[in-house]
Amino acid sequence: MAKPEAGLKRAHFKDVRLPVLLLLPQLAILLFFFFIPSFRALGQAFFLSDPFGNTVHFVGLDNFAQLLQSDTYHESVKATVVFTILQNLLTIAVALVLAFASDRVIRGRGIYKAIILLPYAIAPVIAGILWAFLFNPAVGPLAHVLHAIGFAWDPNRVGSDAMILVILAASWKHVCYDYIFLLAGLLAVPSSLLEAAAVDGAGPLKRFFSIGLPLLMPTMFFLAVMNFVYGFFEIFAIVDAVTQGGPAGATNVLVFKVYVDGFINLDLGSSAAQSVILMIFALFMTLLQFRYVERRVSYDV
Amino acid sequence: MNLDRRSTLATLAISSALWLASAMPAAAQPVQIQWWHAMGGALGERVDELVKNFNASQQKYVVVAVNKGNYDEVINGTIAAYRAKRAPALVQIYERGFMTMLLSDATMPVQDLLDQRGYKVEWADFVKPVAGFYSYKGKLMTMPFNSSSPILWYNKAHFEKAGFAKPAETWQALEKQLYAIKQKGISACGSVLAGDYHWSLLENYSAINDLPYATKANGYQGLDTEFVYNKTSVVSQVGRIKKWIDDGVMQIAGQGLSPEQLFTSGKCSTFFASTAAHSGIEREAKIDWSATYLPWEEGKQPKNSTIGGASLWVMKGQKPAEYEAAAAFLDYLAKPETQVWWLKATGYVPLTNKAYEMAKSQGYYKEHPTREIAILQLTRGTPTANSTGFHFGNFTQTMMAQRDEFENVVAGKKTPQVAMDDAVKRGNEILRQYEKLNKGRY
Repeated sequence: MAKPEAGLKRAHFKDVRLPVLLLLPQLAILLFFFFIPSFRALGQAFFLSDPFGNTVHFVGLDNFAQLLQSDTYHESVKATVVFTILQNLLTIAVALVLAFASDRVIRGRGIYKAIILLPYAIAPVIAGILWAFLFNPAVGPLAHVLHAIGFAWDPNRVGSDAMILVILAASWKHVCYDYIFLLAGLLAVPSSLLEAAAVDGAGPLKRFFSIGLPLLMPTMFFLAVMNFVYGFFEIFAIVDAVTQGGPAGATNVLVFKVYVDGFINLDLGSSAAQSVILMIFALFMTLLQFRYVERRVSYDV
Repeated sequence: MNLDRRSTLATLAISSALWLASAMPAAAQPVQIQWWHAMGGALGERVDELVKNFNASQQKYVVVAVNKGNYDEVINGTIAAYRAKRAPALVQIYERGFMTMLLSDATMPVQDLLDQRGYKVEWADFVKPVAGFYSYKGKLMTMPFNSSSPILWYNKAHFEKAGFAKPAETWQALEKQLYAIKQKGISACGSVLAGDYHWSLLENYSAINDLPYATKANGYQGLDTEFVYNKTSVVSQVGRIKKWIDDGVMQIAGQGLSPEQLFTSGKCSTFFASTAAHSGIEREAKIDWSATYLPWEEGKQPKNSTIGGASLWVMKGQKPAEYEAAAAFLDYLAKPETQVWWLKATGYVPLTNKAYEMAKSQGYYKEHPTREIAILQLTRGTPTANSTGFHFGNFTQTMMAQRDEFENVVAGKKTPQVAMDDAVKRGNEILRQYEKLNKGRY
């Protein structure tokens, strides 16, 4: 253990009882809402069972084997990967532009920030319904605009249109999260560096790309991981409101499929197996973040 | 006063209060049971009224109706509650959940319950397709509650303007009418695809045209049933819907908008949907509408349609007094007077012939002719093995697979034949899984 850091932490908590006490409520919540359900899901994944639990057959790894052979599961994985990558790129790009712009503006900066942060306060379902309505081919005003310029927009029938819609809705909802981090990152760029560059004749864009952006890289890594987690786990409400996973499974991302198979189809074994796979992925992402990303983030700018 | 005396006094006070509470005459307390249901909005208000009427009609029992969300949420809530050994006495489960509930070993047959408690219910008087759907080995397993059947709703003005008195009886003739309406520019779309189209346009289509949907009398004769709808004109029916959508004769409402709105706003000329839409359409419609039977294939003699909706299951694990209360409530529900009140308030079909006769003799169907269509359609002709109904395990799951493949057709990714073959293949795998789980239990 590196001495100075450890020493600092120990100085605050000499007695072990207080930190344990402070941690207990959080641990209790984790125990009841995460660990116990997780272990039950892990168990369920090896059984074929009647939803009421009166008939249960042990099937070993059958549920997993079936998933790996299933075309719909493969498509769901593909949809999830496409969705998370595009959503990630779009969210970070837009957040970066907005952060750069609002870092530049002087007058009304607070108002801009408030407006940009607004979507975060809106419930995902409401956001989803809003987007579904705006782009509804029958009545949506934005769909009419698209039709008017000769674009045959129809997310009810065309899978890629539905995917675009979900990506837009999800990114719109998540941009503010990335924006806050990027803006904070930009504000933390030492002004001495920027001033020196300005004296050397670098314009705002040049300064941004050669000084701001490199210093933001750790933040962007962190955000990329967070966006992946968002895309994999928290997208359920938006998909439910915008496309219900359709058409023909085009937007049936993994977390939505877990819900449909478990709570609508009542296929608990398969649903549990899917959650286990998702859980393993979450573990992997967390490890990745701690191992590679966290190390490069320097907190003392 | 020292501490000891104070605590002794407190103990005394608490224990005497407890004693008083326990000594209250138990007989004066009505038995309370819970009924979980999925009726929201206007229908939820009717349910509350129904329960209030029952509670007011006697002193012994109190039914508490709890809206647990939509059908999926009610069945999930019931499963969770049952596993925690806290299931309510009565639950409303959609018709697709019949096999799941039947073989769950978690319910009690309603016919047994009412017969054992000495209630004289005329089981034979239940409307055939309704009782047939919810029966197993000749016994009614669950109390039919809100039963419906799909009908064809239409915009009178649109049809008159195009020179038609009403929608034609066959699919072929109706198709010509809808195309004419479109070509004459009378409406933006001839029809709107309902959210439960698989029920009205595929399952009921099979029943009405006397086509086999699956082997073993559509699952009535065994768990080893297999879907066969990919070998019937269901395939061309899917092709027909796809063509209508391609030609702009049929519209998909999509998310963020209910299909019903496209009909009631006058945008689309027809709507294939449940008779239970009556309460909504009567309230919303700004158009002059009417309804008629679902169409059938040219040259066919149409059979009866089948039901949808939900029924009330009695859950195991209740106390005797609670079963007593459940039985009393179910008996109340089956009474013709209650039935007539309910069908007038909602648009669902009567469950017994007596209730139907009573509503008819009151002149109700003369005033509301469209409300009689569903029951007439349900009782049309003699039911065959193809039109009695559908008993499939994991029914919701097989239906979702079918929807998925149907969407592949609409998206132009698969031909109707390939898609229905795939739907049948996926469906059969799901049926085999159910068979494996419930071997020897049906």
